[in-house]
Amino acid sequence: MKKLLIIFFLAGSIPAFSQALTTMEYSMGFATGDLSDFISAPSFRGFTTSFKKFVHPNVAAGVEFGWNVFYDEEPTDVYTQGNFAYSGKQYRYSNQFPMLVRADYYFKPGEMINPYVGLGLGTMYTLRNTDMGQYRIEEDAWHFLMKPEVGVEFEMNPGFAFTVNSKYYGGFGAGGLAAQGYFTINVGAVFKP
Amino acid sequence: MKKRTKFAAILVMTLVALAGCYPQGPDFIEDLDTVLTHFRDGYDFSAKLTYARPDQIVKVTGNLEEGDTPTYIPDAVAAPILARIDQNMAALGYQKVDISADPDLVLPVASWEATTIYYYYDYWSYWWGGYYPYWGWGYPPYVSSYTTGTLFMGLVDPTLESANGNILFQWTGAGSGILTSSFSPARVNSAIDRAFAQSPYLKTN
Repeated sequence: MKKLLIIFFLAGSIPAFSQALTTMEYSMGFATGDLSDFISAPSFRGFTTSFKKFVHPNVAAGVEFGWNVFYDEEPTDVYTQGNFAYSGKQYRYSNQFPMLVRADYYFKPGEMINPYVGLGLGTMYTLRNTDMGQYRIEEDAWHFLMKPEVGVEFEMNPGFAFTVNSKYYGGFGAGGLAAQGYFTINVGAVFKP
Repeated sequence: MKKRTKFAAILVMTLVALAGCYPQGPDFIEDLDTVLTHFRDGYDFSAKLTYARPDQIVKVTGNLEEGDTPTYIPDAVAAPILARIDQNMAALGYQKVDISADPDLVLPVASWEATTIYYYYDYWSYWWGGYYPYWGWGYPPYVSSYTTGTLFMGLVDPTLESANGNILFQWTGAGSGILTSSFSPARVNSAIDRAFAQSPYLKTN
């Protein structure tokens, strides 16, 4: 909760005179590291939304929220722990909820094709479930999060643009879970009221 | 304002769509079948050769009161299950003998119907308790919880007992969820085979 308040505080400190951008994206995720070991299948269930304002002709800053669901079915296998062996199918879920403040640098503001790079800092909540038979193991953690991003906006008119971008959400190890990271490819719409 | 409303509507629709396509897990009941096995440290199965087992599968429905007699699952269901267990034991090198032949191991088989399960010693003593009367009405220690329709198998060395005089399971195997109203011999056989396959230390010389 404290982390959320910090994000909102930082977002509120953005100058009010600037132009606002509201972005909504469909997000496809590709796990890396420990998350990939747990679920290797890509995620096609995800979305991201962000609210930004220009604080400089080339720089926009704001907040971002997202949700990516990674899911995989493991075929029947044997899992051992000490003198116990447990076999069955496993159903694995990992819900990632990134929440961060972000700043993006636009290379061609005002032009139809406008590439940008960005960096985000914040937190990511991981909710990981392992279902086997009638049982569920639930783990969760709040990670410190860094997110580099590259993308392009295609301006259709002064109030609307399409965007294509790629991000890497790098969550540091926390709460008994190792570092959780994943790439995303996103397509979406940018509203400029 | 109009654009904000439009955006909010799209956002809500997106969230509903995402929630609607949230992965749902198992498609079939057999996808929930699991097998749990456990062995006691230090016990050497390789030196054992013979085993005996009851000809019926007792139905565990709760603690027996003094004077109660256990109930059993129907013979038509029990017979193929017991035969499958015998096949696996034979494949591991064991010879089935009568309880009166002083077997190295005894193999109780039971089905659970409760959701929280203990080792019900009173069910086992009904069968060979006559030979080892000190395995009488012991206090059942908590072991684990199993779901409805669990098939339980155990291997007991009749020469060993726990500190409080109860029988001591050297090996247990439990197939969860397989003895239900949607009983399927294939699922039961698969669970039995898996229980033995994931216990390679049971192999005798």
